[in-house]
This record gives sequence, structure tokens and C-alpha cells, in this order.
Amino acid sequence: MASRRGVLVGGLAAGALVVGYALRPRRYALPLPPGRDEVAFDAWIKLADDGVVTVAVPQVEMGQGVTTLIPQIIAYEMGADWRRVAVEPAPPSPLYANVPLASRWAELTMPAMPDALLGDDAALVRRWAQDHTFTVTADGTALAAYEGPARAAAAMARALLCMAAAERWDVDWRECDAKDGFVVHKGKRLPFGSLARAAAALDPPRSPPLRDAPPAERPGVPMAYPRLDLPAKVDGSLVFAGDVRLPGMVYASIRHGPIGESALADYDKTAANGVRGLITLVRNRGWIAAVASTWWAADQALTRIDAGFTSTDRADSATIDQAMETAMQTGTATRLAERGDPDAFLTGRLPLQLRYEVQPALHASIETASATARFKDGHLELWIGTQAPQAAREIAARALGIDVAAVTLYPMPLGGSFDRRLENDHAGEVALIARACQRPVQLTWSRKQEHIVGHPRPPVAAVLGANVDATGRLGGLRARIVAPATAREFGRRLLHADSPRAAIDAVAGVADPMMIEGAMPPYAIDHLAIDHVPVRLPLPTGRMRGNAHGYTAFFVESFLDELAHRAGREPLAYRMAMLGHDPRLADCLQRVAVLSGWGGGADNSGQGIACHLIGSAESGGRIALVASARRDADGVTVDRLSAVADIGRIVNLDIARQQIEGGLIFGLGLALGCSTGYEGGLPVTGRLASLNLPVLADCPAIDVNFITSSAAPADPGALGVAAVAPAVANALFSATGLRLRQLPLLSEDV
Amino acid sequence: MPRLTVNDRAIEIDLDPVTPLLWGLRDAANLTGTKYGCGVGDCGACMVLIDGEARRSCLVSLAECEGRAVTTIEGLSRDRSHPVQQAMVAEQAIQCGFCTPGIVIAAAGLLARNANPSDAQIKAAIPNLCRCGVYPRLLRVVQQASRAMRGNAAAGATPVTTIPSEGTPR
Repeated sequence: MASRRGVLVGGLAAGALVVGYALRPRRYALPLPPGRDEVAFDAWIKLADDGVVTVAVPQVEMGQGVTTLIPQIIAYEMGADWRRVAVEPAPPSPLYANVPLASRWAELTMPAMPDALLGDDAALVRRWAQDHTFTVTADGTALAAYEGPARAAAAMARALLCMAAAERWDVDWRECDAKDGFVVHKGKRLPFGSLARAAAALDPPRSPPLRDAPPAERPGVPMAYPRLDLPAKVDGSLVFAGDVRLPGMVYASIRHGPIGESALADYDKTAANGVRGLITLVRNRGWIAAVASTWWAADQALTRIDAGFTSTDRADSATIDQAMETAMQTGTATRLAERGDPDAFLTGRLPLQLRYEVQPALHASIETASATARFKDGHLELWIGTQAPQAAREIAARALGIDVAAVTLYPMPLGGSFDRRLENDHAGEVALIARACQRPVQLTWSRKQEHIVGHPRPPVAAVLGANVDATGRLGGLRARIVAPATAREFGRRLLHADSPRAAIDAVAGVADPMMIEGAMPPYAIDHLAIDHVPVRLPLPTGRMRGNAHGYTAFFVESFLDELAHRAGREPLAYRMAMLGHDPRLADCLQRVAVLSGWGGGADNSGQGIACHLIGSAESGGRIALVASARRDADGVTVDRLSAVADIGRIVNLDIARQQIEGGLIFGLGLALGCSTGYEGGLPVTGRLASLNLPVLADCPAIDVNFITSSAAPADPGALGVAAVAPAVANALFSATGLRLRQLPLLSEDV
Repeated sequence: MPRLTVNDRAIEIDLDPVTPLLWGLRDAANLTGTKYGCGVGDCGACMVLIDGEARRSCLVSLAECEGRAVTTIEGLSRDRSHPVQQAMVAEQAIQCGFCTPGIVIAAAGLLARNANPSDAQIKAAIPNLCRCGVYPRLLRVVQQASRAMRGNAAAGATPVTTIPSEGTPR
């Protein structure tokens, strides 16, 4: 996509100074020092005398399988025995800087830098990410960021082990190999454990050789790397942040004020008298917490107190809708991407213009925000699951007025997140509560609090317009997308510690390229223009799985489908005709037609098709999807989803399949529910039951096929999310003749 | 003080008897495998077996559990050997794992009363919310566990799972 960063942010300031700064060398201490029986290889691997290989995983496990993927890469490269591989979540450290994400989020991380200095490998980005201990888990960057370093560390470990064995055998170490936890040479073998100390004492070769091929799994072979985290998940022994139990620990619940500028008003604390187990109340400007011997007692106390808040600028659907409408009608647009000559071909009213709308949507992860804290002698220990651990440390440190170095963070797994846990409000809250009650405390938000503070995916409105010639050929396409500058707003909260209101105000009126990602169609269309109209809303909004692709794919693929039908063209052929330049996406479409028994989507078949590309033509991920759906008494029933994805080389096939399946289900939730209105600063849907989330009984039959490829790996996590809403909408058009142009799809009826 | 049996051990829980079982398990007995997701019966993450029946522990008070036998995920088997646990791992029907204990309990409760459930019966018996989206694998999980429990397949051993060939509907 043609980026207009330079236009948006102005020229470079003080470039030479910045480059000089980038060249200063740094060394960092190992974040996970080896135990008495272990030796460490780089920041990634520890090898124990008994042969157990422990892998440091610097990304949070939230279901996406990263605690298997990174160890798999290391086990493969090192020649380790998968049954003897252990995992240790790594605390935030500059050694694990997520450089590709810092680069991808350059608009947020380094807004004053010109593109030329910000490639994935640019030293400047690396230095920024290291200096900010930027190890954020997001946007499917784990492989891009960590496969290389993890492989290099494993190759070094293997080389050292081979050298140690070769010394004993008196052979050339280059003739040795490592396999299943042994170094092997012509029938001889020595277990890793017996070589650990000798290997660690050697100097590694300058560039240890990598195995010939990177790790890759192909369909049809037995699963060699089952997930490492499942045994502990299936017996309840995996400890989430809310499962931590410390000596003397107590439990806290919390009530936040309505969404807006809220301050705690007076309340009657005697109302909580008689709640057995209540220990104390802790108040802050925007919230009140109760601490008790069980979470339930704490929550009961808060219910009885029913504290009031004074607030202004409350989030309200009427105000939000009005702001969206005004922005659509009269708001100033910034052109963020274009192709061809839009000024000549795409001005004024176009022959066909259609409007799409997306309601705010909640993440609804089943785990609510939870954190455990112990504050003693000026030092805070924090047990928390978070996608942005350094930000969590900083929030807690700021809340207590202590140095960030005085906050030790223990990374915990997440019970789903879907980008909700990129934000860490509860880290500061639990720190303050722990200090106030002078003992270890565990804070858990109630479901309703999760919905109040859970900055939703933003509302979005778009008008797509097209120029079509007499034969129905699509000559040009223009999109005017109205949305808050959510990514920038999130960036202010994450990186500048802005309050939700301050973040909204800081980015008001600024166009946001991350809000239109995926709007540039993958098709060969001569003239294209994508405009963003940033709108200020009285509602903080945030990142969510799929992000912009979760609505832009809906706009583009619904619109394309409608164009095809209006031109009397079969929807698959209509798309294929514009994909001559992208054989990989065309291949996905052709294969999904076979997989699904695509019948052309003709009247009443109930089949709908969609495809989408996330990322660049070279390294992006692709999906084509056919949905079978119908209207019935319950609303919408989706009977079948058939998907073909091309995500390049696949490290772990079943995890990739989980990601596509899960993405389709998550996207189905967004297509049919997850939305909420707001009244008086509160979400109308305080319960999960009112979100129309899919359950097993609603789950369509799902077939997922992958195209075998050696192209660069692309993340599968968002592909299903993006494709499912348009495929289902197009299927419902086929089934009913009605075009649904809103998400959730039946919101027009409500 | 409510007295009940939890995972085959008789215990007393020194809490207000109106406290939901969920919090007695989590905050008094430290059985944290039973999860809080909503507190009002919407999500199913807190399911436990009460006298063999899968129930949402957020909706049952400690007083109501007086004299009853509760089985939590920790007590379902000593070594993850319950056929539902085995099948969940073998099919990798787990992602973040937060809803997993509730789903395992729901499936175990179903199979305890119906060793050979139909697909419709499985769907009706597992109302749990899973946001990661493991649903496409759950029918296979319960069918596999059902076969194991009926002796048609070896239980206990780590099953060999094969990644299906392309074009093979799962």
C-alpha cells in the first residue's frame, strides 16, 4: 500500500543525531540466569545436566500457541528431544525486543521518523525497541521477530554440543550431528546432558551453521510437535494471574465510573457492614475497590455500597451515532492510499455508492482482567498476563511513584485476549490496592467491569463507490472510511501513558493509516483511493483481533460481490478476472471452490464467497472462504465454512489450523454479535449472554486446507476473522436476496 | 459451616453459606482450576460435577452443596487420564485453556449419564463459551472419549494424531 507517512508527519528532525545515537553499543544481563544444574546458551536456551532443554518464551501465551512454536523452532534446530523440552516465560528484556512490531507500528512508536529509516532491520528501530524493552505480543509478529534469533541460539548450542562430543571422540565436530537429544557420529552417541558443562566452556564458532531448511510441516505427516501447554490446561493446573495464591493474600473487586470524565462521589461505607470477610475499601479518583477474604465478599460489599460517580462527556450511542454521521457528511478526509489517477477518475459522486456500518464490539475474553501484587520495602512484585509487559511495569511504577526497576513482573498466561490485554489499567490498580492494604492482593474485574473499561473495537462507517464501464468491468474504486483514530489513540495510552480521554484528545482530527489496513483491494483495479475521516468520539476505543481487516474485508468483499451480481457476473469468476497478478490468492479461490462444492452462488443457494490478503504481496497471508448460511427463526444459521489459506511456510500445521478455525469462530461472533450500545457512559450489554456469541450448537462444519508453500511465513491469526463476515453476508444475499451492510449482520433488524 | 465432599474429601468451608460454590472452591479450597468468567451462568467456565451432574458453580451456594459430592477439574482424574481429558489433548481442542476445565466437566458429565451420545446430545450438553474457537473439534473429542469409555479404543495411552491430508474434511 502506498504510505503517506511523510505527508502525515512532516519531515525528519535531527536525523544525524538519531543515527549516531543508534550506533552506541549496549550489553544486557541475561533475564533468566541458569540454575545450579544448568548452562545457558544465549537468552533463549538452558540445558540441564539431566538433558532437559528449557526454552525462554518472550511472548505471552494467550492460546495462539507461541509457547510451542518457539520451543519447536529451537528443538528442531538444536536436535532436542521434544519430550524433554520445557518452557519458561521470559520477563521483559531488551534482549527480546520485538523489532518487526516496532517497525510495523512506526506510526505509534516513532512517529517523527521517515519511512526510509524504519525497515524491519533498521538499526534505529532495533535500538528504539531495545531502549523501550518493547516485547509486545501483537499483530502476529512472533515468527518474524523471534524465529531468527531462536534458531541462531539453537544452532550455537548444537555447534557447542557437537564440539564437546567431538573432543571426547577426537573427531571433527563438523561431522557430528544432533538428534533427539543426543550428539551422534557414526554410530556413537552422547546425551546432551552429559555434554552441557563442557559445551558451555567452549568458545562458539563465529557463525554456527544452520540446518539446511527452516522448520516446516506439510499436510499428511504425523504431528511431531504437539502443543506443550495442553496437559496443564486440561487438568486445571495451569496458573493464570487470578489463580496465584500467596501466603496471607486477600482478594479485591473494583467498580469504575462510567465511561467519560468520572470521579468517585460520596458513598455510604456503612452499607457494607455485615459483609463477612470484608477487610477494607480503597478509593481512587476514578474507582473504588473492596478487599476481602474472598473475591465474592469483596464484590458483595461493592454492590451494597453502590458508589456513585460524577461524570461528564459520558459515552452515549446517540452522541456517537451523531458524531459518526456528521463526520461522514462533512468531515475532512485524508487520502491514505491510492493507485492510478483517482483525481481524474474518482471525484464527485460515483455511479454506484453503498454505505456500510460497523457497531462497537467487545472482546469478551472469558478471563476478566486479573492481577496479583505484593508490595514490600518499596518493591512491587506483579503477577499479570499482558501483551505489553513493560507498559504494565511502567503503569504500576507510576501509580506507586517508584522506579520501574523496582517492579518485578512475572508473566502469566492469558485466558484469551484478542488484543484486550494490550492495555494494563489493572496493573496500576492492583499496585495501589496492595500498598493500601499492606498485604498481597489479587484484583479481579467482574464481567461488567470488563465491559465498561474494555475499550471496544471502534464503530466504523464507510461509503464505497465504484466506476463501472458498460461491460461491468470495474474501472475504479473509492472508499471513504469514518472511524476514530483508534490505533493512534491506543498508541498514546500504551507509549505515552495518556489517560483514555487525553489519548482521544491527543489524536483528534489526525488520520490513522492503521485504521484503513486491508481496504486497498488485492485486485487489479486501475484507479483506487482510500480516504480516512478521523472522528472524535466520547468513547475510548482499542485494538481487537483482526483489527482493521475485521471490517475492511467486510466492506471490500461485500461491495465486490454486489458489483458482480449487478454486472450479472458469477462472483468467483468476477474476482479471478482481477487476480492475474496474484496467482497465490487466485489459487486459494480456485481450491476453495472445489473444497466447498461452490455452485456459483446463484439465487437461493445460500453460498457466499470472499477472499482477503493481509500484508504485502510478497510476505502476506491469503485466505479464500465459502460460507453456507440461511435465515431462520433464530436469526442466522451458518451451516458450513470452507477455507483455503496460503500462509507461506508453516512451522506448526495444527497450530495454524487452530488459528484459522478459531479466527473463523471469532469472526463469526463479530459478524453476528459482540456489539454494544452505550447509555450514560455504560455499555448496554453488561453480560456475555447479551452478545450473541457462538456456542458449540451454532458452530458450522469447518474445513480448512493450506497451500503448501515455501514463501515467508505469514500469521494466520487474523485471516479467518477478516473473511467470515463478508462470506456470510454474501451467502445470506444468495439465500434471501437481501444485502446486509451492517455488522453485526442483523443489527438493522434490531 | 457448610460441609460437603470435594474431590472425595470431606471438607468444611468457613464462609458465609450464601457464598457461591465457585468462590468456596477458588478462594477457600484453592482449587483454582474452576474459573470465573461471568458469575451469572452465561459462560460455563465454572462448571463442576455436583453429585455427578455438570453444574455452574457460580449459581450454586455453599449452603445448597451441604452434604453433596463435588468433583472439580482437579479431581476428575489423578493423572489427566479421564477419556475426555485424553481426547481434548489428542485433538488439540484447547487454545488459551481458560474455558477448558468447564468444557471437560460438561463433557464428562454427559458421558457419565450417556455413554454414547448423539451429535445433538453433545451440542446440547456443552453450552460453554469458548472465544478461541475450539468448537470445530469438540464433537470429535466427545466421540473419541465415548469410544474409549465404551472400550472400543484404548484409553490412557497417548493417542497418535495424524495431520489430515489436504482435502480431507475434518
